[in-house]
Amino acid sequence: MLTKIHHVGIVVHSADEALKFYRDALGLPVTADKVIEDQGVRGVLLQIGNSEIELLEPTRDDTGVARFLANRGEGMHHICFESDDVAKELEAARDKGIELIDQAPRVGLAGMICFLHPKSNHGVLVEFATPIPGQHEH
Amino acid sequence: MSGIGATHIDHIVISSNNAAVVAETFQRNLGLEIKRTMTRPGTGAQLAFAKLQEVVLEFAGPPQPDPSAEVKARLWGLVLTVTDIAAAVERLRTLGYDVGEPKPAVQPGALIATVKSGTCGVPFALIQYNAIPTATPGVSA
Repeated sequence: MLTKIHHVGIVVHSADEALKFYRDALGLPVTADKVIEDQGVRGVLLQIGNSEIELLEPTRDDTGVARFLANRGEGMHHICFESDDVAKELEAARDKGIELIDQAPRVGLAGMICFLHPKSNHGVLVEFATPIPGQHEH
Repeated sequence: MSGIGATHIDHIVISSNNAAVVAETFQRNLGLEIKRTMTRPGTGAQLAFAKLQEVVLEFAGPPQPDPSAEVKARLWGLVLTVTDIAAAVERLRTLGYDVGEPKPAVQPGALIATVKSGTCGVPFALIQYNAIPTATPGVSA
């Protein structure tokens, strides 16, 4: 069962520049800031209420995030729903015939995560996440 | 105030060429309950709403969708709830951001202000509820 909006992902040219607004001006605290080498992104999570905003800066040019930035510019990239069992959500999605990007949950900045293919939701990229206790402060 | 007094994401806007179909897809695929649908006064835009805890998902589309068109949607914008919209707007303007004047929102008693710079391509607004006194039904002055 999806319990809440875990975060919304925003693709940016520079996380440091984006932080001037999202952290410094809005006053949102950073809960995680990490380069995920295999995905070629720097991800920064900022807490807002029970959810987070994730800034995604590509660190190389051959990734989906980099292509998104090149083709569409900065903007909202995906929405992540929290579940207490991401594997179960993935299985339920598969049973419904929903096209998947990830065939099995994997570790991401938000915990154990998986992505549905945007084709399944009219172009909206959807992520499921189950936070790993202690992974980051939220 | 170290920030703008933002308490939570109020809503996330998913824009499309057919709000009803997109809302139905999210309901079917993700199990989200569509709590309300409405037509936006003035523009006639079709809106549908789902809510997870404190955050509303707003599905927005044109007044008369073309039923033969391929349905396309995208994540569009963000609205944050603030406790004092006047102070929030003043702070952002002081820091050099372009922020519109707060104006009455569709939600009764609420004020909304658009942030026009610094948001990294995200249409962005602030909303304060209970900012305008509203008439209580059955009570007259």
